[in-house]
Amino acid sequence: MDDLAGQAAGPLTAPPASPRGLGRITLEVRQSVPPWKQAVFVGGSLLMGLVISVAILAWAGIAPATLGSELAGVLTSESLRGVLVQAAPLILVGLGASLAFRIGFWNLGIEGQMIFGGIFAAAISIHEIGPPSTRLLLMGVAAAAGGGLWVLLAAFLKSRFRVNEIIATLLLNYVAMYFLFHLLYGAWQDAKTAFPQSTPFRAFERLGDVGHGINGGLPIAIAGVLIAGWLVHLSRIGFYTRFISANPRMARIVGVPVRTMTLWLIAMSGACAGLAGFVNVASQEGRLTQSFFNGYVFSGVLIAFLSRNDPIVVAVVGFLVAVLFITGQTLQVFYQIPFAMVQMIEAIIVIAVASSEFLIRHRVRWIR
Amino acid sequence: MDDFLINWIANIPVTAVPYALAALGLIVSERAGVLNLTAEGLMLVGALAAAGTCLTLGGYPALALLVAMAAASLVSLLFAVLVVVLRVNQVIAGLSVVFLCQGLTGLIGTLAKWQNKPIAGLGNLNIWPLSEIPVIGRIFFLQDPVVYLTILIFVAVNFVLFRTMPGLRLRAVGENPAASDAAGVSVSLHRIAAIVAGSSLIGLAGGYISVVSVKLWVTGMVGGRGWIAVALVVFARWAPWPALWGALLFGCIEAVIPRVAAAGIRVPQYLMLMLPYLATIGVMIWVGAKDRRGGQEPGALGQPHVREERR
Repeated sequence: MDDLAGQAAGPLTAPPASPRGLGRITLEVRQSVPPWKQAVFVGGSLLMGLVISVAILAWAGIAPATLGSELAGVLTSESLRGVLVQAAPLILVGLGASLAFRIGFWNLGIEGQMIFGGIFAAAISIHEIGPPSTRLLLMGVAAAAGGGLWVLLAAFLKSRFRVNEIIATLLLNYVAMYFLFHLLYGAWQDAKTAFPQSTPFRAFERLGDVGHGINGGLPIAIAGVLIAGWLVHLSRIGFYTRFISANPRMARIVGVPVRTMTLWLIAMSGACAGLAGFVNVASQEGRLTQSFFNGYVFSGVLIAFLSRNDPIVVAVVGFLVAVLFITGQTLQVFYQIPFAMVQMIEAIIVIAVASSEFLIRHRVRWIR
Repeated sequence: MDDFLINWIANIPVTAVPYALAALGLIVSERAGVLNLTAEGLMLVGALAAAGTCLTLGGYPALALLVAMAAASLVSLLFAVLVVVLRVNQVIAGLSVVFLCQGLTGLIGTLAKWQNKPIAGLGNLNIWPLSEIPVIGRIFFLQDPVVYLTILIFVAVNFVLFRTMPGLRLRAVGENPAASDAAGVSVSLHRIAAIVAGSSLIGLAGGYISVVSVKLWVTGMVGGRGWIAVALVVFARWAPWPALWGALLFGCIEAVIPRVAAAGIRVPQYLMLMLPYLATIGVMIWVGAKDRRGGQEPGALGQPHVREERR
């Protein structure tokens, strides 16, 4: 019986060897992969990505030993504070990217949404809206609204005119950037310094320390993680989201409010990015600058991709990327390595991990 | 005013060439069924490679453009392996390659100190006596060689894609990989070839920016033109000639920006710089509003092909 089945299936699964006698390579799609095997593949490729990154840095003049000591330096208590400051906006953009990816919307406009978050927050400060006691809160809310509205423009273009959101959100980044420049070289320019920056925020308009040297941005990011975690894992919205991303037509047929859910999730994604912009202008910079958003688009994609869109994991990966950012800044200051290096390492890591999925999902066979 | 108009029109080809070549390169690879977002990154690679060659050798712009093509093809091989061999999600792979190129070109260019150095680039071709004709001569017969070459490239690519057997196979692989595979056409090889060949044109587009039009290299100098080229492909419905007309349209818009400032017309500078991006979004809206049935994109665009996988 076994033999017979083998014979019957034989010609289908294994055609005769090629005339060259080398055989051929076939791919089998694995039905299930044990978790430990997945971890080995992902971990191995991650390690390979890091080795390649270290090799490129060594070529650029940073010996691995130097890199190690710089990395160790970043993790000391003094620099760790800087890492935690940097982690807040990164966690927020990671949340923003993962919420949008969960619903199948490629939000690559994170920088544009950060910019509009920053602009809305700065507008509250410049026009002195609201009493000083609630000013900071108002700025945060405005930033979330600014980011949310900016991404909804792309969402509207997609739903109304079927404009591909990858292109729309990326192009809107440039539009937002030039609008920011228009303000910073025009109406909002600091009259005192004549630099393309807004006037510094007042003391009560800044995110200060909340104790133990921890910046006020971090609690915002942690709150974002908890809310998004609840939303995704425990709430009805999370259930609907999984349903919609698995089968949008079926979801619509059984009465899931697909359109409303999608728009809300996209808006929340933009709001997270807007908050990241607010955190950057209100804590690190203390004013609107022309570069507070640089390098966050791909960081958001990386964090969402590595955490598999899980908000809780986003917090961990966001922290690790913050270590990378601070190390990159150190290398920039002391070794003149351009900050673009950070993006390059991020890309290498994504490529390595994405490639490992091939080995997880397929079995490569050489049939002679 | 006449001067303004002639200067503007005479500058359109120079601004249109990068869009045209990049879009054509993307069309070649997308016709084979590979959703290609790498243009922005590969143009950066081409720009750096061409600028680096010119600065190192002190000239030889034509050789520099060839180096740009080769460099972009080489980097695109990584993308080809990712999406064709390893079947990585084509959006993720494309984005990763773009940001890898952004980082790598920034790193290499800065370390080699190529930033802001004047480049002895390619001059204009003076087709005398035609170039002496008033108005028309300046517009049509006093351009750089690549402008004329671009038209030849379009004719050649159009011929190969639609009039030859390899072109037919390439399009078949993009429309229905399973059927092509059954007919004995290697899906993987055709897709890899399409990516590498198309990317050489994208590299040329990038090299053109640094060595012919700007004659200078700075980090991130492509400035979103690659993304506009991606949109241009959708606008052109994956056909070469409409892509050329679209490129001329974007060339018009980009060329007018410096003219307006030079003519002393007072408009907000940074709002003017938004124009190409807003125009792209406008064009995409127009495409979406006009064609309610859905695009005429290649049937298998963005789908990896695994022979053993059941569908």
